[in-house]
Amino acid sequence: MTMQIIPASPAGIEKIAADMKAEGRRLVVITCTAAAEEYDITYSFDKENDLVHYRLTVPEGTVIPSIGASYGGAFVYENEIHDLYGFTFTGMTLDFGGTFIRTKIQYPFKKEKPAPTVTKVTKEGAS
Amino acid sequence: MTGKRTVVPFGPQHPVLPEPIHLDLVIEDEHVVEAIPSIGYVHRGLESLVDRREYADFVYLAERICGICSFTHSSTFCQGVEGLMGIEIPERANYLRTMWGEYSRIHSHLLWLGLFADALGFESLFYNAWKIRESILNELEATTGGRVIQGVCKVGGVRRDVTNEFLSGMDKRLEGIEAEMQEMVNVFLNDYTMKKRLIGKGILKPEDAYNLGAVGPVARGSGLAQDVRTSEYLAYQDIGFKPVTANGCDGYARCEVRCKELFQSAEIIHKVIAAMPDGEVAVPVKGNPDGEYFSRSEQPRGEVIHYLRGNGTKYLTQFRVRTPTLTNVPSLVAMLAGAELADVPQIVLTIDPCIGCMER
Repeated sequence: MTMQIIPASPAGIEKIAADMKAEGRRLVVITCTAAAEEYDITYSFDKENDLVHYRLTVPEGTVIPSIGASYGGAFVYENEIHDLYGFTFTGMTLDFGGTFIRTKIQYPFKKEKPAPTVTKVTKEGAS
Repeated sequence: MTGKRTVVPFGPQHPVLPEPIHLDLVIEDEHVVEAIPSIGYVHRGLESLVDRREYADFVYLAERICGICSFTHSSTFCQGVEGLMGIEIPERANYLRTMWGEYSRIHSHLLWLGLFADALGFESLFYNAWKIRESILNELEATTGGRVIQGVCKVGGVRRDVTNEFLSGMDKRLEGIEAEMQEMVNVFLNDYTMKKRLIGKGILKPEDAYNLGAVGPVARGSGLAQDVRTSEYLAYQDIGFKPVTANGCDGYARCEVRCKELFQSAEIIHKVIAAMPDGEVAVPVKGNPDGEYFSRSEQPRGEVIHYLRGNGTKYLTQFRVRTPTLTNVPSLVAMLAGAELADVPQIVLTIDPCIGCMER
């Protein structure tokens, strides 16, 4: 079973959040997950048990506007995504500067770089 | 007011905190101006193990996200996989999950009431709450084999059935437990000291609760009738459900909601036992999950979300959990602003923080 998820862009996410707020929806969660090539950041809003999802599919390092102006509580998810995945959110209502979740490894959920599959051997090394 | 601001660290180790969270309290004289939380002391990265364990085995890990609402984590995870695979579990399994979920809620609320009484130095009340909790844990142990980690949920249903004869005995024993809870609740809701420490403390207005994303007794204590049990999941639609709310918007209202929910859960269990359908408790599961699913349930602390993504193999590719404590943190920050420094410990406790659960 697949959930209905509406694609969105970083530039439009603030407007979507403002519209959701105007509709009387509450912010349920912002979920970040690693996808095949990029990352999916899914915003879920609820009103009377009707869950609506908007998704940004973005490459590593994309700067995303915060939706804190519409939902003051968004800072927990935005700081969490920053601390675990390394994304930067601009205009957060409370910016912990990377200290909200203090992990030993920086950005622990960031995709690992693939291991090299070809070993380059120099002429000097081969002789 | 002197206008001079000082930062007082609260936690990560504090007598009222069973688990570590840190708050930087910016105070002016004795008043909290701002509270800045930070977490990460018990982050385990459990979610990242999902691609290294088969989905059927991951139920055990999902259950260990939290030591208090363990049952709800396992049932929410199973519900997610079942949603992905289009599995319809037997009615009896649905009813049993509902029953165990409500026993878990009673044990969690009693645990919180005991811890809260202990934090206020009310030791006899603490003993009493936890003594009653033992009776609930005994029922969980007798029916599932586990007191805190039950290990009874599986994808496709539940691992154990409970005989109808034993269910009748549970029904009768629960009446005795309710009588004991009534005596205890009278103290929580009517005692002079309790009222003095709770009424008017940690105010969270309904509009703030909604805008900040409060869930569970924190939202319902601010008058919001918000509860996942009003949606179509488990047996709640069959037996009828109406959320408990209180309009005080303070610590007392949150305590009142939890006290009333003890009896609501008991009533749900009575109804579930009376209407328990006969039949199988699990269906065979074939294939692997493919697609993505947001599974949600009402834990004792509020709405929990499990996000699952599968690719048709026996390993899920993504798993993310949003627990109620994380989403109640902004509300806590709002409650603490303007509070007296001496009230901070019990205000923090009124959100019933579960840090292990929040950090996974």
